[in-house]
Parts: sequence; C-alpha cells; structure tokens
Amino acid sequence: MPKFGQMVEESSIVKWHKKEGDSVRKGEILFEIETDKAVMEVESFFEGTLLKILVKENVSVPVSSVVGYIGTPGEAIPATPPPTAAAAPVPPQTPAPAQPAKPQPAPVQQASAALPAVAPRAPASVRPDGLVPSDAKVTPGARAPAPALPAAPARQIISPRAKALVKRSCIDPSPIAGSGPGGRVQERDVRAYMESRNYSAIRISPAAKKLAAAREVDILRVRGTGAGGRIMIHDVERAVAERPRALTKMRQVIARRLTESFTTTPHFYVTVAADITDLLVFRKDLKNRGEVYTVTDFVLEAVIMSLQEFPILNSVCDGRTVRWHGSVDLGMAVSLEDGLVVPAIRNAQDLGMRELHDTAASLAARAREGKLTPDEMTGSTFTVSNMGMLDVDTFHAIINPGEAGILAVATARDRVVARNGKMEIRSMMNMTLSVDHRIVDGSLAADFVNAIRKKLEDVALWTSLT
Amino acid sequence: MDKFDVVVMGAGPGGYPAAIRAAQLGASVAIVEREKLGGTCLNWGCIPTKTLIASSELFHAARRGEALGIKAGKLEYDYAAMAKRKDEVVATLNRGVEQLLKANGVKIFEGTASFDAPTRVNIAPAGEGRDTRIEGGTVIIATGSASAVPGFLPKHRRVVESRAFLDLTALPSSLLVLGGGVIGCEFACMAAQLGAEVTVVEMLDDILAMLDSDVRRELRRHMEQDLGIRVLTGKPLENIEASASGVSGKAGETELKADMLLVSVGRRPVTDGLALDRAGLSVNERGFIAVDAACRTRNASVFAIGDVTAGSTLLAHAATAQGVTAAENAVLKTRKPAGSLVPSCIFTSPEIGAVGITEQQARDAGRKVSVGKFGFAGLGKALASGEPNGFVKLIADSETDQLLGAHAVGPHATDLIGEAALAIHGEFTAEELGRVIHAHPTFAESWMEAAHALHGACIHAAPKRRK
Repeated sequence: MPKFGQMVEESSIVKWHKKEGDSVRKGEILFEIETDKAVMEVESFFEGTLLKILVKENVSVPVSSVVGYIGTPGEAIPATPPPTAAAAPVPPQTPAPAQPAKPQPAPVQQASAALPAVAPRAPASVRPDGLVPSDAKVTPGARAPAPALPAAPARQIISPRAKALVKRSCIDPSPIAGSGPGGRVQERDVRAYMESRNYSAIRISPAAKKLAAAREVDILRVRGTGAGGRIMIHDVERAVAERPRALTKMRQVIARRLTESFTTTPHFYVTVAADITDLLVFRKDLKNRGEVYTVTDFVLEAVIMSLQEFPILNSVCDGRTVRWHGSVDLGMAVSLEDGLVVPAIRNAQDLGMRELHDTAASLAARAREGKLTPDEMTGSTFTVSNMGMLDVDTFHAIINPGEAGILAVATARDRVVARNGKMEIRSMMNMTLSVDHRIVDGSLAADFVNAIRKKLEDVALWTSLT
Repeated sequence: MDKFDVVVMGAGPGGYPAAIRAAQLGASVAIVEREKLGGTCLNWGCIPTKTLIASSELFHAARRGEALGIKAGKLEYDYAAMAKRKDEVVATLNRGVEQLLKANGVKIFEGTASFDAPTRVNIAPAGEGRDTRIEGGTVIIATGSASAVPGFLPKHRRVVESRAFLDLTALPSSLLVLGGGVIGCEFACMAAQLGAEVTVVEMLDDILAMLDSDVRRELRRHMEQDLGIRVLTGKPLENIEASASGVSGKAGETELKADMLLVSVGRRPVTDGLALDRAGLSVNERGFIAVDAACRTRNASVFAIGDVTAGSTLLAHAATAQGVTAAENAVLKTRKPAGSLVPSCIFTSPEIGAVGITEQQARDAGRKVSVGKFGFAGLGKALASGEPNGFVKLIADSETDQLLGAHAVGPHATDLIGEAALAIHGEFTAEELGRVIHAHPTFAESWMEAAHALHGACIHAAPKRRK
C-alpha cells in the first residue's frame, strides 16, 4: 500500500483495475486507492502477471502493507504475513495465500519501498487460521461501523409461511416480534402485526404493489397520494428515491474528518471586520500597472505573517501535548462540485507575494481539475476558507484535523461606518477565526485575528511587499 | 357592478363544465361567450363532424353491403340533407347546454370578454350597446383555439379551414387537404367515403406522426387502398393558387388540382383581445398561457384551461377535465391537479383510439416495455361484423407489468379506448386486465387477448416461433 502524503497512515483500495491472472505492464494503472483526502490511481512499477490480490476493495490497511503479488504465472507466492484491515472487518471469506516457494515474485509493496515503512499493527483481526480478512459483504462505499455503535440486533428467525406472507404483503418484517420457539416469527405474528398496523385499510394500485414487491418497499411506510389515499406507482417510486444512498468517497472523507474535528476539538469563534477600502484601491492601482493580485492573496499573506508572530496558532494539540509546526504550510479551502479539498501551500513563510499568488492560483486551478498530488492535499498547518465570492456576511468554519485554527473570510460590503467621528461608506470584510480552545484562549485569539486585520488595513505594508 | 364568485371566459367544452361545477359547489357564476354556447367542439368541431361522418360511414357501409348479403340498389346521398341534420343536432345540443347552465343558476353574458383588472372582466356586446363590467373572485380563461391559416394562402372561397368547410351545403367533387393531422385525415376520410376525389399533402414524413408507425401504417393502407385517397408525405404544398375554376398546387414534382383546398395545419390559441396584461399575465412564444397542474396561472386568482393553455392536447375532454378541476380548486381553495392521462380519438376510417404512451415514446425514453398486440382478424365478433381489419396494442412496463399505453385501430376503436384508459388510470397490470372476464362475442375481448399476448399466452393467436 503506497504511502501518499506525510500524514497518511492507512488507505484502502477502492478499485482494482486488474484481476488475478491479468498481465500487467509497467506504468499501467493497477488500482485506485483512497486516502483521507482523495482517490488516487496507482501505476504498476513492475511487468508481469497479477498473481494474487491480498487486499480486497474497500478494506483499509496500514500503508506499506503488501496488497498483492506480481510475478510470472506458475510462480509460487511467499507467505508474507497478510495485511490487516485497519477497520473492523466482517468475517473472512478469502483463503490464505499459498505456501512459500522460490523464486519470490516482487510484491506490489515495493512500489513504495522508498517511503518509510510503517510498523504493521497487531493482527488483532486475523483469525488463528491465518485467513485474510475481507469485507466482501460490506456494500461498496460502506465502512465498518464505529465500535461505539450498539451491536446490530440478533438475526430475526422467521418461518417459511410467515416469510411468504411478508413477501406477498410487501412489508418489512423487522419490527415483528416473534412468538414462536426462540422468538421465531410465525405467520400469526405477521397477521397480528398487519392488523395492528391497519394493513387491510391500505389501498394500493396493482402496478404500485408489483413495484413495491420488486424493490422491497414496505408499503406500510408509503404515504398514498391517489384518490382516498390510494398508494400509486409514483408513491412507491418516491419511497425508492427516498432511500439512503452511500455518500461519495470524498463526502465520506469530509464527513469523517469534520465530525472528528467538531466533536473532539472545543471550538470558539472571534469575528472582526476589516476595512479593506484602501487595500482595494491599492489592488486596483497594482492591476492598472499589470500586477494582478486577488483579495485572497492579501489575506493569505496577512495570515502567514501573523502565524509567525503567534506560533501557537501554527501548532497542533492532541489533548495531552502541543506540537509546533516549524513552517507555515497554509491550507486553502477550495470548493469542488460535490465537496471540497484543502491544498497546502508549503513553506508559505518563504514565498514572496508573487510566488504566493502563483502557487495559490495553481493549487486552486489544479484542485478544480482534480489534478492535485496527495502531498499537496495533506499536511496543512492552518487553513483559510474564503467565501467572499459567495455573498455571505459571516460564517464559522470547522477546524481541519491536525490544526489549531481556521479563518473564515466573508464578502466585503460597502457599509456606513463611523470613522474619525464621521459617517463614511467603507468596504468592510468580516473574518471569523475558529480556534482550538485547548491551546488558544480568547485574548490570544483576539490578538491574532486583529493582527491579521491590521495588516490588511495597512496599505504601507503592502506597498513594501509588492 | 355585478359581482360573482367565478367568472368563466368562454363557454366551450372547458368553460361550460367549469361554470356548472362551480355552481354545483355553491358559487355564484357568470359565463361569457362571444359566439355560441358549446364552443368549437359543439358547433364547429367534434359534434358536427361526427354527425357528417355518421352519414358517410353509413353510405360507405351500404355501398359495400353486398358482402353482408344486402343489396341496396342504386345508392345516393344528399349532402344538403346531411348538413341540415348536422345543424339540427348542433342546435339540440346547443339548447341543452343553455338549459344546463340556466338550471344551475349560471348567468350567461353574450359578448367578448377581456380583462379590465386582475379580477374585473369587461364584456363588449357583438352589436350595439354599452360594455358591461363584472367582478369575479376568480376568473377562468377558457377561450380555446381557432384554426391556424398561414398568411401565404390565397384568400378565396375555395380555400377553407374546417369551420368554413362545415358550412358547405354541397360536397366538392375533389378535395385537396393541406396537413395530414387529425382534422385533415378525418375530413379526407369523410369526403372520400362520399365519393370525392381526395389528396392529402403532409410536410412531415407521415400522416399523424404522433402515432406509432404500425398504427399509422394500418390507417394509411385503408385510406389509400379502400378509400382511394392519395396521400403525399414528406413534401410541402407549394405554388398554391385559387381561381373560379378550382385550386391548384404542387407537392414536390406532383401537380395537384381540386375543387377546394381544406387547410388543416393546426390550431392557434385565442388570446388576442383578452388584455391579459391587465391581469398580470402574458403568453409564451407560441401564444399559450402557462398554467400549473392545478390549472393556476401566475396570477393566483386567474385560472386557465383547455386549448389556450401551454402543453394542451387540444382535445375537448381534456379541457372538460381541466375545467372541472379549475372550478373545484377555485371554489374549494384546493390545489388538486387535473388528470394528465388523456385518451385521444381519431374518427378516420378505420377509427383510432390511443391513451398513454406509444412504443416510440417508450423507446425514446429508454424505457423497457413489453408489447402485446391482437388483430381483429382473430376475433369472432369482428369477423361476424365483416370488420376484420385493424388491431389493438398494449404497452406495459417490463419490470412491473404496469399498463402504460394502449392503442386501437379498427372498428369501434374510439369507444374501445375507454376500457384501456380506465385500466391505465387505475395502474392495472397487463396480467390483471387479462384476468378480467370479457363478454363474448365483443370487440372488447381484443384487450383481454392483447393482455394475454403481452405475456405470450394468447389463446386465439398462434404462438410465436420458438427461438
């Protein structure tokens, strides 16, 4: 399992492009992996035949695990300890690899041999018989449930007659309590349940019932919109359409990371309004001279400078320790069609304004084209999220895991403000800082966000920097 | 100024049922009509044409009576008498509509309605007299449509649209029909059955292009072979000229001459003079008024129904259904949608009935369907009646077996389609329609046979060769 990105500890293969027995050429796409940030295609470094797939699709394993073998047909496969699924897997179904023999084919693992290996985890989920855990029963895109969730209810035992009645009636038997031996659901239980749910009052068109049967829709849960509440075909179609669908890989990653951050990091928020009237005039002057900068560029630079003044904001806390990042790897949130990515501007403190602009523009463009490399998508130390183009007054962002704060930049608006005792119309831009309260307190957050604000309001500073 | 709960503009097959339904629900109702009660359908459309077609069908059948053992001797028809009977039927129904409206307490205004304000209607009398203004809590626009006559056609008494054709008291001995749609084909068949020499010119690739090709083929074969109608498709009619001696034109390389030209190229909505802008309304680029499924316009107190609405099927019964729905929604303050399953009937020879989707539409939508067909040649009643031509066809969803479309071409097809409409409306499966016991010997048995055929279980048709 190649290690893509410094922070990545485990990945899963979302799709094998080759089957066992397929020949593989060097440079051909072998499989796609999903890291915390994205789905990546992995090319083969070897020529030969894919002899064995050890890691099935959608099983998360530590990086540097062996995922399969490429060699010549007939060649035996070494008995490398099988990789361990990081997430709790369902019972295994795949037989163990064959006994070792020489010569040994090249493990796919070598594709990433240059990267630091990660110590294999204790094979807690490997059974004594050495079978490789697989998640063949897990539907694509689904992850094993988190351990905190209650265990699934025991399997319902249902008599064949009861089952046939359930099927014929287009109902879901799971709420039915069984009165037979060992809680077995019997026909009379189904009838009693149907009566209790007033099943006989349901009116349904013949075609709707047929569709409900074909799609396993519980008609007790379908609201009928036909005459007198009759369930019509479109009601069943709506029930089918309302079923939960798996999130895209990207959304699952977003869901996991943001939930983790929001539930484990105590957030608080400080909002300031920056007067960027003069900065906008200055930016226009620059533009007329052929020097194009975006408002984001100035915000990024102001943040980079302030992070160096307030190193604690460029740190990460795990609740027991705090670790400072020696360089500012500034993340910038880029929204995509269905999701967002946070590419990082590495060593941002070393970049001049022009380099910063070019790097940010290039990262944003490649993010939208889906062409970022994994390392570019991981490892930011502080993030800026700019929704200025989305016509919002203010918003609060969720801190990226591994960071101490995030700055949420809203739309600059012309507002009447008091200035030198007079009312003036100024371009005001709200910025809200979200911080990890475990390491940053109110006064520090205020100082930090005001440091950013003051920089944005100080045109003399920008004159010297551009 | 008189005030009403509901004011209906137009007393056609959409407007007068709307008025009656609103009155049934207890509303005070006014209806405004500038011509005759019953509108196009009753006066210049459905009813008069079907009256004439009844005569032409009888004449055509009697002429071929020998096959059934009837010798009628020398047969003649009197078109003037046919036209007179038509006028009598229309007059009877006309009086009936008036009586119904009055019996329901609907106040009838004669004149041309237009908006004065969003809920105020101005009525201009046809002749002398002052305008009347009435106020309506709700206004229902039901002004219908009129024949479209392109400007390039010569203005001449030999160039007529359907309404003027119905005023004739003598049938032309030869007829050129421009437009092979429903109206063009119905008139063509009627005239041909009475012995006129008829040519239909259609610019599209086939007549009645909205139908499935097998249905079209059956009709066209009869029109051409049995009725001797010349059908020219895929070419426009050009160089149209009219003179005292007749009309002439050219379709492709073919020179055409006839006594009369019937223009049946479509219908246009009647909205001019309504002053829709005073109700905050406008028409779309094709002149129709946009409405939602509940027949509401953009103005919450104005409804529109029938031919004047965007997406209309231009069918009287669709207007009636919309009219009743609009009246209910207006009086009861509900938002019920009007039915969208509209059967269509074409009174050609043979007749055509259709409801739901066509096979072509299913294909275009990428929908998987099964088709069951049954020919009248396999039906006892059809053979007994000497009408063995045509077929019925059912289209069902492959997964659920839900009936999605039904088409009939042949004897009584326009009456037969009612059963299929009921089955589709009730979301019947083909299997269930096949299980309904149909009386023998009847034409309606054909649906049961087609439903069986859809599952390869037709009793009265040889099995398809095994693959």
